[in-house]
Order: sequence, then C-alpha cells, then structure tokens
Amino acid sequence: MADADHFDKLKQAIIDQDEDEVLEAVNAALADGIGAKTVIDQGLLPGLNVIGEQFEDEEIFLPELMQAALAFQAAMTILEPKIKEEGTAGEKKGVVVLGTVKGDLHSIGKNILKLLYETSGFEAHDLGIDVDLFSFINKAKEVDADIIAISALLTTTLVGQRDVIDALKDAGERDRYKVLVGGGATTREWAESIGADGWAATAYEAVTLSTSLVS
Amino acid sequence: MRFTEFLTEAEVRRTHEASLEVLETVGVLAHFAPAREVFRRHGCTVDDETGLVRFPAAVVERYRKMAPPSFTFRGRDPQFDRTIPDDGPIVVTGSSAPNVVDPVTGVERRATSADIANIAHLINELPGFDVFSISTLADDAPAGQFSLSRFYPALKNCLKPVRSNTPNMDDLHQVVELGQIIAGGAEAYAERPIINHHYCPMVSPLTMDVDSTEAVMWLTEQGLPVYTTVVPNAGLTSPMTLMGTLVVGNAEFLAITVFQQMVKEGTPIIYASLPTVADMRTGAYAPGAIETGVLLAAQAQMARFYGVPSGGYIGLTNAHSNDAQAGFETGMNTLLGVAAGATLLNMGGLFSSLMAFDFGKAVVDNEIALMDKRAYRGLEFSEENLALEEIAAVGPGGSYMGRNHTKARMKTTAVLPRLANRDMRAQWEEAGKPSIHERAMDEARRILAQPNGAVWDAAVDAAIRERFPGLVAGDAKPLEG
Repeated sequence: MADADHFDKLKQAIIDQDEDEVLEAVNAALADGIGAKTVIDQGLLPGLNVIGEQFEDEEIFLPELMQAALAFQAAMTILEPKIKEEGTAGEKKGVVVLGTVKGDLHSIGKNILKLLYETSGFEAHDLGIDVDLFSFINKAKEVDADIIAISALLTTTLVGQRDVIDALKDAGERDRYKVLVGGGATTREWAESIGADGWAATAYEAVTLSTSLVS
Repeated sequence: MRFTEFLTEAEVRRTHEASLEVLETVGVLAHFAPAREVFRRHGCTVDDETGLVRFPAAVVERYRKMAPPSFTFRGRDPQFDRTIPDDGPIVVTGSSAPNVVDPVTGVERRATSADIANIAHLINELPGFDVFSISTLADDAPAGQFSLSRFYPALKNCLKPVRSNTPNMDDLHQVVELGQIIAGGAEAYAERPIINHHYCPMVSPLTMDVDSTEAVMWLTEQGLPVYTTVVPNAGLTSPMTLMGTLVVGNAEFLAITVFQQMVKEGTPIIYASLPTVADMRTGAYAPGAIETGVLLAAQAQMARFYGVPSGGYIGLTNAHSNDAQAGFETGMNTLLGVAAGATLLNMGGLFSSLMAFDFGKAVVDNEIALMDKRAYRGLEFSEENLALEEIAAVGPGGSYMGRNHTKARMKTTAVLPRLANRDMRAQWEEAGKPSIHERAMDEARRILAQPNGAVWDAAVDAAIRERFPGLVAGDAKPLEG
C-alpha cells in the first residue's frame, strides 16, 4: 500500500471513531515501515482535525468526539514507545496540571478536558478530585507546568479556585503559571474577579484557549 | 385525585428490583470511612481498600422500610411549618447560586449577604413559597463565616422554614449554634429545630463523598432535620435512557436512605432528586429540559411505592432572562411534577442552570407555584361541588354572575394572578406594554419597600452578634435606583 493510502486509512479510522480500525491502520502502517511520528502527523492528527471541525459544526456530538479521542489515545500506547526508539519526539505544546477543587468530587468534565489536552499535544498531569491548593502548586512546580487548570462544579467550594491563585501570589509565583478555571459553578466574570488567566465554557474551548496561551 | 403515572405497577416493582441488583452487584463507593463502618455493622459487604460497599437485597429492604412517610420543615413561626406529603405541594426556592442579577442595574454580579436579606424578605411575603432555601452565596462573608453570612440574613428576615447546606463541619456547628441562640437554648432548639439541612452526599454514579456524608451522618445522629438529593445526569453520570437514569438515581436514593436509617432508625427523609439528561451536542447541563419533569414524575411514583414523600429540583431553567424559555421550562416541568404527585418543588428564582438569582424570576415563579398548587387541588369532587341546586335555580338561559353561590367561591375556585395579563390589547398598550419581567420587578419593589415584620427582637440579635463578632449586617432594604 502506498504511504498516502495508509494516511487516508488512519485519518478515516479516526473520523469513524473506531478504535479497532485505528489500531489496525496503525499496525499496518508501522508494518509497512512508516515511522510512528509520521503515522501521527500525517494520519491521525488530520483525522482529529476533521473531528474537531465536525464537533464545532454540531455534525457530531460530544460522545463521538470522546470516542475519536479515546481511539487516538489507544493508538498512542503503541506509538509512544516507538517514538522514543526513533528519537523523533516533537515539541509538546505545553505542560498542564489539572484537577477538581477541594471538597468537590465531580470528575467527568475534568476527565474530558484531560483527554482533549492529551490528544491535542499537551502533557497533562491529572491530580483527580478533592485537590487542595498545595497539591496544585507543588505538582506544578515539580513538573514545571505552563498551565494550572482548576475545575469546580459545586458553588459552595468554588472559592478553592481563588485560594490557589491567592496562594500563588503569596508565594511570589503567580507569573510562573497560567491559571485557567472552569466547570459548572464558574463564569467568565468569576474568572476575571479572582484574577485567573482564562475561563472556558467547555473542555474543547479550554484546549483552544490553552493553545493560544502557551504559543 | 389520581396522579399521572408513567409506569405500571409491574414496572415499578421491576425498577425497584433492578435498583437492588445494582446495589448488590455494582455497589456504592463510600469515601467517608465512618460511613463504611456503619454499612459494615449493618450487614453490607465493605472493601476498605477500594471503598466499595455492596448491599444485600435483604439489608436494603429491611432498612428502607424504616423511613417514615412524612417530613416536616419548621420555620421561626410555627404557623409556617409544613409537612409533606400532607401539606404538599410545598414550594422551595432554588439554592446556592453564586450570582444575583442586580435588581437595580439588571447586571449579573456576585451575590452578597445583603442580597440574601432582601431575598429572604421577598420570599417571606410571596404566598406561593413555603420554604426559603438560601438562594445565593454571600461573597462578602468575613473569613470563617462563609455559612453564617448566609444563614444569619436568611433566618433574620424570614419566618418561613429556612433550608440550606454547609461546606464543612465547622460551618455546620456554627449554624446549629446560631439556631440554638435564636431558639433560646439547645433544649428549645432540639424541640423545634428551625434550620432544615440539605446535602448532596451522593455523587453520581453511585458514589458517596466525604464532607456532605459526614454532615448527614452527624445531623442524623443528633436527630436534626436533614434530607438529601440525588443528581443523576444521563449521558454523563447515568445511562442514556430515562429508565437507566431512574435506576441509578433510585439505587442512590436507597443507599443514602438505608444509611440514614442505619445511623438512626425512623429518621424522616425525602426522596428528592435533580435528574437530568445532558445535552450531548456539547455536554451542557440541562436542568430545564422536559426529561427532568418526566424523571421526577417517575420518581414520585417510586416514592409512593416506598411510602415516602418525594420531589426535588424541578422547574429550573437554562434561560438567562425572564423570557418564554424561562416560563415554559419552569411551568411545564413543575406541572408534570405535581400531576405525578411530587410534593416538594425546588423551583424558585434562578436563571442560568442554578447560577444566578433574579428577583423578577422569583416573583414569576411565585405565580407559577400558585398555579401548580391549584392544579394539585384538582376538581375537588363532591356532591356539593356538582352544584345541582344552583344549576336548577339559574335554569336554561340564566346567568351565574349575580349569584351568592358565585360570590362565595369567586376568590377560591380560581387562581387570581397578579402578573399574568388579562387586559384587552388596547388597555395593555395604554399601560405602556409592560413585560412580565417589568410587572414582576414592580411587585418585588413594592414588597421590599414595606417594613419587614419578620425581623427578630433586638435582644436576640445582640446575643447572636456577641457570639459571632464581625457578622454581616443582614438587613433587608428597599430597592433603590
């Protein structure tokens, strides 16, 4: 099969949101001697771009976007070790530390965000739920993060987002990170009032915003 | 009255069995270790490593039957006490919004304790509302007084039952102490606890959190009134079928109910829920969608099967202003709820999926509440109400207008709306074509311009302020500007 045919198959498999089809196409491409980095750049990412456009146009819905992203993630478990062997790892877009504020156990929106970060070329460190402010700050320091993204669904524990920003200020490290806030309990005005660097209504928008913040 | 029922008797039974199966085979994750201990002591299988609790069906059946058939909300003035289902449907404000639409400028902003004082005064005066669930947060709360800054202005300005939550045990203890000072001591408070606690310890799917679970456990041990709401969201935290979502929510209700009964047998509870179907185009939360009404109606039917009162957050809206969407989402859903026999409607005053309180919306919802209550009264069938003598007396071709029979019933048979417009078009044009929102805001201003008779004695206030120095003022004020 010509390389171009492999790329078409990879792209189509992602557009079909079919994990089995994606893995089959990846293995076939690798067997024909196409490099792992090329498989991603020429096959999978063009597919994800189409998926992103379809989602924005409401041609596909969130569960379909999720499945395409999950299929991509599954492919990455095969491709990542190969990229290391090849030594072709490209520049990652940025490093993100994310989690849900202290006292709040809601994880679904945050998990969607993590998945979209990873499929968009970010290195994402997920601290999970019920995360206290020190965990956010310590982890960000440890992994030299570009972005701290804090989710909150409950209005009563929403102030945990402000606490992280205030603690960063107190430590004199506010300028070291971009802080994004989001989740059902938040608004753009809230984000502005606590001095966050950004807010997004959806996980998809959050990744677009993050990309512009780190570039 | 016969309630609207979506499910047959056999389907109700199967839904119950399916919920038992979920609790026995899938189980519930309980993050609060003392709660796991309670479950273990009462016959559940507990894995401390994972936190997973599995419920044998016989255990669930035994404890869920201990839940009493009614729940009472108490207010500062006992004449406003309400017990469901008998006094139902009772109407409760929506709660804990971070924002308020400023009643003077119309611009959304963070809510403060001063807003809570005004809202409490308004709800105290609006006849459709029975319980004031504290509508907003207080952004001006002094450090260490997050919850006090909500409960103090609420209780100070409202004689009706006040309901809310607290984020941690320190706040909960403070709030109960506030109640005890108002009641004139711990003993008097134990007799008539006037703070009605509410939490969402169940995080869908099938998970119990730490902080709210701890609060529910403590309040249940103390014998203080507390009930919970389960919040499944189809497509995200429950299956994308209404039946699957009903089963997940029902299993969660059973889990938290047997938990409370295990902690203290005979603890009054409510089968309360906020079931939704997420908008799969974007994942958007959609509490105003009609599916919420359908699910709440089914839950009312399950609650009758269990012999417990039911209701929940219904009639919320995704709309951001007092427009047609706000009206139809609140109206259609609450009507479905009352037709199905739900007797607790958490519906009043919020826009934007629980994000912002609006004074005009609260006044519109008061009118919707009065209509819902009228619908619940139904046709009031009786021999007397057939009015056969009256029909004979007026005869063919006569008029009922000038009759004593009419005069005696003209203020009670139908709702007399203050906002819904029944003028001729020309009259409405002459009045300047007022919108429903403008009429509602006029009513809010009229009410808040009156002195508030609900405020307590200076001595009570002094005792509270001495115990909690630096407390917010908490006074209702006329809307100016």
